[in-house]
Amino acid sequence: MSTFASQTWWLLQRKLLESWRAPAWIVVALSTPLLYLALFGPLLNSIVGAPGFPPGSSALDIFVPGVLVIVAFGAGMGAGWTVITELDTGVLERLRVTPASRLALLLGPVLRDVVTFVVPAIVVTIAAQPFGYHPDATGTAVLLVLLSLLTIVVSAWSNALSMLLKDIGSLASIVTGLQLPLTLLSGVLLPLEIGPTWMRVLAHANPLYYAVNAARDLAQGSILTTDTGIAFAVVGALAAMTLTWATRVYRSAVA
Amino acid sequence: MDDNARSQPQAHAAIVADGLQKSFRSRTGTVDAVRGVDLAVEAGTIFGLLGPNGAGKTTTLRMLTTLLPIDGGRAEVAGVDVARAPREVRRRIGYVGQAGGADLGATGRENLLLQARLHGLAASDIHDRVTELVDLFELAELIDRPARTYSGGQRRRLEIALGLIHRPSVLFLDEPTAGLDPQTRASLWDHVRALRSGGTTIVVVTHYLDEADQLCDTIAIVDRGTVVTEGRPHELKAALARDTVIVQPRLGPEEVAELRDHLARAVPSTTAVVDGDVVRLAVDDGTATLPAVVEFLRREHVPIDGISLAGASLDDVFLAHTGRSLRDPDPTGSARR
Repeated sequence: MSTFASQTWWLLQRKLLESWRAPAWIVVALSTPLLYLALFGPLLNSIVGAPGFPPGSSALDIFVPGVLVIVAFGAGMGAGWTVITELDTGVLERLRVTPASRLALLLGPVLRDVVTFVVPAIVVTIAAQPFGYHPDATGTAVLLVLLSLLTIVVSAWSNALSMLLKDIGSLASIVTGLQLPLTLLSGVLLPLEIGPTWMRVLAHANPLYYAVNAARDLAQGSILTTDTGIAFAVVGALAAMTLTWATRVYRSAVA
Repeated sequence: MDDNARSQPQAHAAIVADGLQKSFRSRTGTVDAVRGVDLAVEAGTIFGLLGPNGAGKTTTLRMLTTLLPIDGGRAEVAGVDVARAPREVRRRIGYVGQAGGADLGATGRENLLLQARLHGLAASDIHDRVTELVDLFELAELIDRPARTYSGGQRRRLEIALGLIHRPSVLFLDEPTAGLDPQTRASLWDHVRALRSGGTTIVVVTHYLDEADQLCDTIAIVDRGTVVTEGRPHELKAALARDTVIVQPRLGPEEVAELRDHLARAVPSTTAVVDGDVVRLAVDDGTATLPAVVEFLRREHVPIDGISLAGASLDDVFLAHTGRSLRDPDPTGSARR
């Protein structure tokens, strides 16, 4: 009997091969964050010094951690698309009739999404440094762990949701419908400190907001902060909840 | 279900189902897809579940293969209770669904290797088993190509190989020959028969009469969520003691329906149905009835293209038990499950 770990590995390998064979996706995954840097980053230079921009930090010190959150979120969002394709081709059904662990069936695609977050994230972190990004090494490592958890939340959710919806149209409208408000209300692009009070209050209902705050702390090397603690608590709890729920969906899905 | 059935497991039964039930909730209310299905499948045979679309065949199969929770009743597959030990059932069964299940972006070999690993085959055994199946299903030339490039028949063979990788004692096939050309179908049937010779029990869900008739040792005819009759195909047909007179008139659809009504009154028949542009009369003794039909058509000057006499088919069996033809379009219009 193969173990849970080896099952997860084989299922992850299948998904990584799938990504590797889709060069278009690789190009998009790498170019999206770089485009944010190249085409949005320069706009920030003129407002450095506004509230929310700590003195001595460059625009990219604020902006790059936010871009990483966008990348982490986006890496998991698309998970449902392949689930629906694999419901149609019967792949998921076939895998569900093997004795493989249901959690392993879920983790294969979810961990693939973590890889498709981590790789572009590292590329962006390196590529941004000549342009004024000064990340702390340890902080960046912890940051990648936090945002990997965020990718797990989003990916597991997208996986399970598409198992239940079974329809690419409904999935697409829910996913894109959520993506924009969650992103805008997290302070990803600009710090919410420069916004009105109601936005800052509303943002507290958005898990991404905590991730963005912690990401900025971590990139600057402030690891043991309240913001980081809250972010790990929020995202960690969400990860546990979505994984439990999604595994249950994989167990009993009327697919 | 009584205690007797539980304490005396049928030694040669690969599958036993007692009163299986499944309902689905939809916007318009609850649909009872399976309403008390009883099955007993003898080990080492090919068993067919025959019925129209929406009859509950696939839903039954999905319960037996652990894909759907069982709402009521119980089932034992390969000696294991499905609801209590689904993982044990999954170890013992192979399943090829309607959609097939090959990962199209991966090569045939990658598909087989992953399936073998998930079933926990020993690393030393995997290579031999893959080679064995590749030879058996004549896949050697394409095994390292992406499954997307396979023809329908090649893909089906790969998918059956996937279902067999762990040498299951029971193999479930859901509409295995749908969409395949006649030659490919016949060759697939040969593969299935060869599996039976090797001792595997095979359950085939089909809505094809000829598949049930020619391939299956025993069939259960399913309609509206229940088994309406069960037995060996030739016995089911013989039990009807019935022939069919088929009249093909040169008439429009409305006139054909009218002719059906007239024939039903003029000739002693059990049922008279319109099937496309022909009228089918189920009669007790064809040779005795045929002259009366011919006489009626001549007297009424009905233009005909042909008239023929056929022995009972499984469609007649279905008709006799349900009052409808299997060839009729699905009256409820429900989606296939």
